[in-house]
This record gives sequence, C-alpha cells and structure tokens, in this order.
Amino acid sequence: MSVTGRIDAPGELGGRPLDEWNAAYSKVESYFHALRVRNKVLLGQLVALVLERAMERSGHEPQRSATELAVEEMDRLVNEWFAEVLQAPPAGAEMLSTRGRLALLLADMPGRWQDQFLRPGPWPNDFVVAMRENYLRAGPDFQLVKMTPRPLDLGPITTLTHFSHLPFVKMTATWLLFGLLLVVLFYLTHH
Amino acid sequence: MRSAPPIVQSAEGPASAATMLQMPRIRLGRRIFVFYSCAVLLTGLVSMLFADLLWRTGWSPSGVVLLCLFIVLFLLIAVGCMNGVFGFILRRTDVRRLTGLKDYRSQIIEGTSTALVFPIHNEEVVRVCEGLRATYESLRATGFLDRFDFYILSDSTDPDKWVEEERRWFDLISELDALGRIYYRRRVVNEGKKSGNIRDFLSTWGTRYRYFVVLDADSVMRGQTLVDLVKLMETHRQIGLIQTVPALFNAESLFGRIQQFANRLYAPIFITGLNYWAQSFGNYWGHNAIIRLEPFMQHCDLPQLPGRRPFGGSILSHDFVEAALLLKGNWQVWMAYDLEGSYEEAPQSMIENAKRDQRWCQGNMQHGMVVCARGLRGVSRVHLASGIFGYLASPFWLFFLLTFNWMLWYVGHTGLSKITVRPFTPFLRVNGTQHALLIFSLCMGALFLPKVLALIDLALDPPRRRAFGGMAHATLSAVGETAFSALHAPLQMLWHSQFVAAALLLVGVTWGAQKRAADGITWSMAVRRHWLHTAIGLIWGWAIWRLDRLTFWWFVPVVLGMVLSIPVSVLTSRSSLGKKARQLGLFLTPEETAPPPELAALQARMAKLAAEHQTDPQPSDTGIATVVLDPYINAIHVSLLREKGQHPGYAQALIDLGVGHPGVRSLCEKLLTDGPDRLGPGEKMLVLSDADSLPWLHRQAWLRPSDTLARWWQDQIREYAR
Repeated sequence: MSVTGRIDAPGELGGRPLDEWNAAYSKVESYFHALRVRNKVLLGQLVALVLERAMERSGHEPQRSATELAVEEMDRLVNEWFAEVLQAPPAGAEMLSTRGRLALLLADMPGRWQDQFLRPGPWPNDFVVAMRENYLRAGPDFQLVKMTPRPLDLGPITTLTHFSHLPFVKMTATWLLFGLLLVVLFYLTHH
Repeated sequence: MRSAPPIVQSAEGPASAATMLQMPRIRLGRRIFVFYSCAVLLTGLVSMLFADLLWRTGWSPSGVVLLCLFIVLFLLIAVGCMNGVFGFILRRTDVRRLTGLKDYRSQIIEGTSTALVFPIHNEEVVRVCEGLRATYESLRATGFLDRFDFYILSDSTDPDKWVEEERRWFDLISELDALGRIYYRRRVVNEGKKSGNIRDFLSTWGTRYRYFVVLDADSVMRGQTLVDLVKLMETHRQIGLIQTVPALFNAESLFGRIQQFANRLYAPIFITGLNYWAQSFGNYWGHNAIIRLEPFMQHCDLPQLPGRRPFGGSILSHDFVEAALLLKGNWQVWMAYDLEGSYEEAPQSMIENAKRDQRWCQGNMQHGMVVCARGLRGVSRVHLASGIFGYLASPFWLFFLLTFNWMLWYVGHTGLSKITVRPFTPFLRVNGTQHALLIFSLCMGALFLPKVLALIDLALDPPRRRAFGGMAHATLSAVGETAFSALHAPLQMLWHSQFVAAALLLVGVTWGAQKRAADGITWSMAVRRHWLHTAIGLIWGWAIWRLDRLTFWWFVPVVLGMVLSIPVSVLTSRSSLGKKARQLGLFLTPEETAPPPELAALQARMAKLAAEHQTDPQPSDTGIATVVLDPYINAIHVSLLREKGQHPGYAQALIDLGVGHPGVRSLCEKLLTDGPDRLGPGEKMLVLSDADSLPWLHRQAWLRPSDTLARWWQDQIREYAR
C-alpha cells in the first residue's frame, strides 16, 4: 500500500514505477540541497512530504511524469509556506518566491532555523521577526546630486586641436612631406 | 554640508611642525629653484662635456640632434638623481616628517564620515573581497569602524564576475556582520571607466560623506593609517587630498619580488626628495589616497577634451589632472611620504608590467593636452610633464641610439677620419675614448647614485636594515636588482616606444589572451611576445659588430637585454625562483620579514581559500548557472536589480539596455532550451539585468521536465544533488 492509501502493484508507487519516483526524489532533494537544508533527517522528511502530495495527484494526472508533479508540489508547498510566514499579500508566485528565499537567507535558515523550514506555525518569535523584518540593502538611500564639469581653457593646445580643420592644412602638409622626401633623396644621392 | 566637528588642539600646543607643509609660497619657490637648479647645473656640466666630445670628432647636423637628445635625456636622469640626493639628505637631517606632526593625533573624528571605495572591473573577486576584509578588520581594531563605510563599485562586464561579486559580497557581509556597512553597486553602463565609476558614486551617495578614500582592487590599508589620514584632514582644513605611498607586497615571482624590493628600498628617498620641492603641491596616483569630498565634487569633474583620440575625448589618467584641478582651486595636495600601512600589489611578470604600462602611457600622453591649460599651478605642470616624459624618454633614447649608429655608419661609409682633435677644455688631458668613458661614468653615476644613497640610508637605520634581512643581503639584492634593470631597460625602451607610437598613430596594441602557466609565463607566450625584441637585438648587435668592433662592446648592455628577453621573461615570472631567492635572503622587504597583522591575515585567508580551490578559475557561464539555479543567489541578484531600478539614472540605463522588452523572454527561452552557448555576451548581460525574467528563469529551470532543458542545464542541476 502506498502513502496515498491505494494498493500498488509490485514495483510501483502511486501507480508509477519506482524508478520514476526515484528521479522525482532526486530533483526535489536537489532543490532542498540548493536551499542548504543539510540535516539528513529533515531533508528526508521534507522530500517525503512533497512526494506524498505528488502521489496524491499522480492518479489524476497520468500523462505527467512523477518528477513534474513533485517539483510543482514542492514549488506550491514552499510558496504557500512563504505566504503564511511572511503574511505576504497576494502577489505573483515569482515575486513571493524571490522575497521568501531572500528572507530565508537573511534569517539564516540554513544555519539557525532548518527545523522550522516548511513546518506549520506557530514558529518561534525570533524566527518570524528575522524572516519578516530583515531586508537586504546594497547601498544607503540615494542622495542624488549632479557634478558639472568646469570649463578648462586648454590654452595654446586648443589651437592645435583645431589645426587639422583649417583649410588646406592637409594638402599643404602633404606637399611639405613631398618636398622633404626630395631633399632626402637629393642628399643621399649627392653624398 | 554637515557642520565640522570640534577641533581639539594638541596638549603640546599649536602645530608648529605643520608649517613644514604650509610654508610661504616664496620659500616653496626657493626650494623649487634650488632643486631644479641643481639638476640643470649637473645637466649643463655633463652636456658641455658631451658637446666637447662631439666637437672633437667634428660637428655635423646629426651631432646637433644627438646633443639635443642627450640634454633632454640627461636632464630627466639628473632630476631623478636630485630626488635621491635631496631625499637622502632630508631623511638623514630633517626630523620634521609627517609622522612627526603631533598636532593631529589627538584630533577627534567622531563627527566625520568617510567612504572607502573600491572601483573594480572584472577583477579577481576573491582577492578584492579578502583585501577589503583585511582593511575592514584592521579598521575595526582601531575602534573607529563606525566612522567608515565601504563600497565595492563594480564596472564588471563579465556576467560570471558580476554574479561572483554579488555572491562574495553577501558572504563577506554575512561573515563580518557588516550589512549596512559594506555596500555593493554595479553600474549598468561603465561610461568614463574608473573616473566615471567614482563620479557615479559621488553623484549618488557623495553628499553623505566628508571624505572618501579611493583604493585599487588589490589595495590594503591599515586601519590606523586610515584613521590618521582622517585626523590629518580634520586638522588641516586646507588639504584637499592626501596621497599615501603604497608599499608593494605579496609578490611571489622573481620579477615581482625584485620590483617589490626596489619599491621598498628606493621609494622612501625618492618620495622624500619629491616632497622637498612639491610640498603641499603634491600629486595624486589614483588610489590609496584620502580626498575631501566637497572640493573634489566642486572642482574635479573632468571635462571632455576637444579633438579625437588619442588626445581628445575622456581623460584616461584622471588622477594627475584631478590633483592639478584641486591645486587650481586653491586646495592643497599632500603626499604622506612617511605614513606606513598603505599597500598594493604589482604585476608578476615583465609582460603583465608592460600591459599596465601601455594603459598608463596612453593616459600620460594625453596629459599633453592639459599641461598648458590656463590657471594650473606651475608645479602641476611639472607633474604632468614628468608623467609625459616618463614614457616619451624611451623613444628619445631609441632615437638617440639610432642617431649615434647613423653617425657611425656615416663615418664608415664616407671614409672620414676618426682622428679627434683636442678638447676645448684645457683641463681634460684625455683621448677620445677616455673622454667618452668619462661621460659614460658620469651618466652611470647619476643613475646609480640614488641607489647607493638608499643603501647608505638603510645602513644608518638599524631596525629598517634588519627588516631588509641585513646589510649584506640588501646590498647583494640591490646589485641583483641593478643587473636585472640593465636587462629590462632596453625592453622597456622598445615597449614604451611602441606604445607612444601606437598612441600617436591611433593604433591599438593587442595582447590576446594571457596564458599563464601554473608557475608564470609559458615559453610559447614569451616567444610570441618577445620574438621581435630578440630579432631586433640580434640584427642590431650584428650591424654594430660589422660597423665597429669597439662600439659593439659599448652596445652589449643594450642588445643583451633584447637577445635574452625570452628566457629572462619566462624565468623572472616563476614563483619558484622568487621563493628560491627568498630562501637565500635576497630581495627581502619589511613586509616579508615581519608581515604586519593586516597583511598576515590576508595571506592566511588567501592560502586557506586556495587550499579549498576557491581561487581556481571557474568554468565559463558558472555565473549564469548560479544566478538561475541557486535560490539564494537568484534572490540576492533580483533584489539588487530592483533596488537599482529606484535610481532614475540606472532605471533609464536599464531601459536603454532593453530590459522589460518582450524580446528578453525569448532570450530566456533560448537560454533554457539551447543553453548559454547560444547567447552572445550582450544577450547574457541583458538577461541578467532583467529583474522580472530571473525569478521566472529560476522557477522554469527547476520546474520544467529535464528533457525540455538543454543538456547543459541538466548537468548543472545534477551538481546540486551532491
């Protein structure tokens, strides 16, 4: 008998082969690893909780893989928990997820509160405060001012920068170079 | 502007010693006159001898060119020599040093606020963060940490570096409990490069602070030094900027250790000499300096220069110009020439050193536009001109040698007699060869005298002598350093000439990918970089040998460096040889014999991280994998992007970049289905800049069935299973 209460055929769970659930287990476990849930007992409990929910859906959605169902359930479970802990107003799943993950990090869930993660409330007050009130600031409040370059009179150099724009300068320079070349040739052939 | 905190006078009375740095202008003018007159006098005497030598062999137009070049080049040597001589005399006689000023030590800095800014651009992130950590912890030990904020100001354009910077920054603030003390900001567009980066900081947060300290990516500063700098600024309200003299540290290769040794042994007398004539009209080197924020914002926003590159456009080497503008605005610029506790790292090979020189060369050549600007102080013009001639001297040397070779060829070609006439100076009873040898000896004397004086200065200072490993080791090291410099100088001449020509002709010098072996530059890399130097050395040497056997031996030091460039470049880049030299007690510096706590802590941390492979190069696109898959890094990145969106300038820049455009979602799809290889660098940066797309990518990467993701993503997800 599976966790959903139905009778499974040999080599199956929730009406699916064991290998399929193994793959689902790995994916869910990987995500919790990514969240730095390192305690093996807690990790096992959390993965089992997610898979249990996936197995409940398994019979109704035979066209979808166990992994798909499991990660969806994991996403839903995590977001529901974030909404509850953070008392967050309804927002997009991605917005809530980002806020929740940041809150977990700032509250140091991986270090101090692994046992509270995905656990139903009530939670310790310190944990709730840490989750709700910490926020990440990469910089203090902007105090915008505008720096304006002062004009710098470059003196005689300015004339030089405009030199190439003077009429016939390039042509005259070419002629001068040509003349210089003739002088060099004359010099080399007469010494 | 905040009101200034109360100033407490020292119990020992007003700052009499400070008058050293605030002397009347007429006295300062006298110092400049005396200093440069000595240099001109020496140049005049030696040039006279050189002119006499040319006269003995017969005047020619080439001889006039040679003499003019000699005068310019020897003047530069003479100025360096005088810096050494004056510096030595002052260090032996003048007790009124900056650290001797008693008036600032009791200054209260409770009312001050100082920002320490680390502008970075695709740097080695671990090293940046660990350098910051060392400075932070040293500052915490002083008890004045609450007076300082730290800013990592990123201009990184590499997506992997960007993500790594955010990750390491968060680790740093977590470990140091420094949230709200160490900040991170990455600009959307890196307009104006480093100076633009700092200006962006000033425009965004500048008004919060009275001072800011600019540090390089590899800088470390002792906490007490930072506190002292703030105290000095508080005590002397007319100072706009104090530049410290960073000591080189952490070198491992032989080249790095030689440079480090030279910096630590010679810099004190040179900088003391420089300070003799510059006084409160000092210079700014771009980092390890404290700056009074208000005048800097008022005077130092750099204008765009007219005309086209290399002289027009943005000012590349902003530091010299900023110091000049502060002085123009009647603020003082000091050089804290004897304040210890300021450090930086140096290139570890000749090739890396040349790459850095190329950047500096472009910037310094551009100062030719500014040097004549109206209203600048005369001393600023001297600083700017010195920077220009620091690079222009190389093509001058090359031209000098080629002109000499031309004269030699001309004499041989025309069959003119080499018989010399008597010198016009009746006191010189020497033949032509002896005359040339005398001039050569004077040139070498002017070049090496500061080094000898630095050694004597060391001999007279027992604690410092011990810090260099003892007098015998220091002397042997100085001889080794001089021998290496003789081999390195001809290469510098060729490189700098190439850089100057490239800058003037608007030709880029490409370096390609730097392939460093585990222990320095590879032989193949060295061959690619130095084959031309070797060829020039061989051909030049052969040509002179054919022209005149005697002259050939005079040219051996020049061509030897070129001919041996490949093995010298490879061998000096080796850290194994650097370690060997250290075991032999060669090129030791005070930071090696007795590392100060901040450097010892940094070195220990870097060794630990290296053992954990955290300093190993990461595979390409690691940053994308991390920011998409790691739940926390993704959240941090998105949070920082959203914060950035509140800044009108950044928000507009993000829109201009294409953020929020429907096309970004298509790029995200492509990223998931085809992998990051199919996206260009600009497309990756666009995806990473979109605060809405990244949470979506995170969910999709984890929720989608594996077979709908690119193989690359499947492999990356598998990494998390471990």
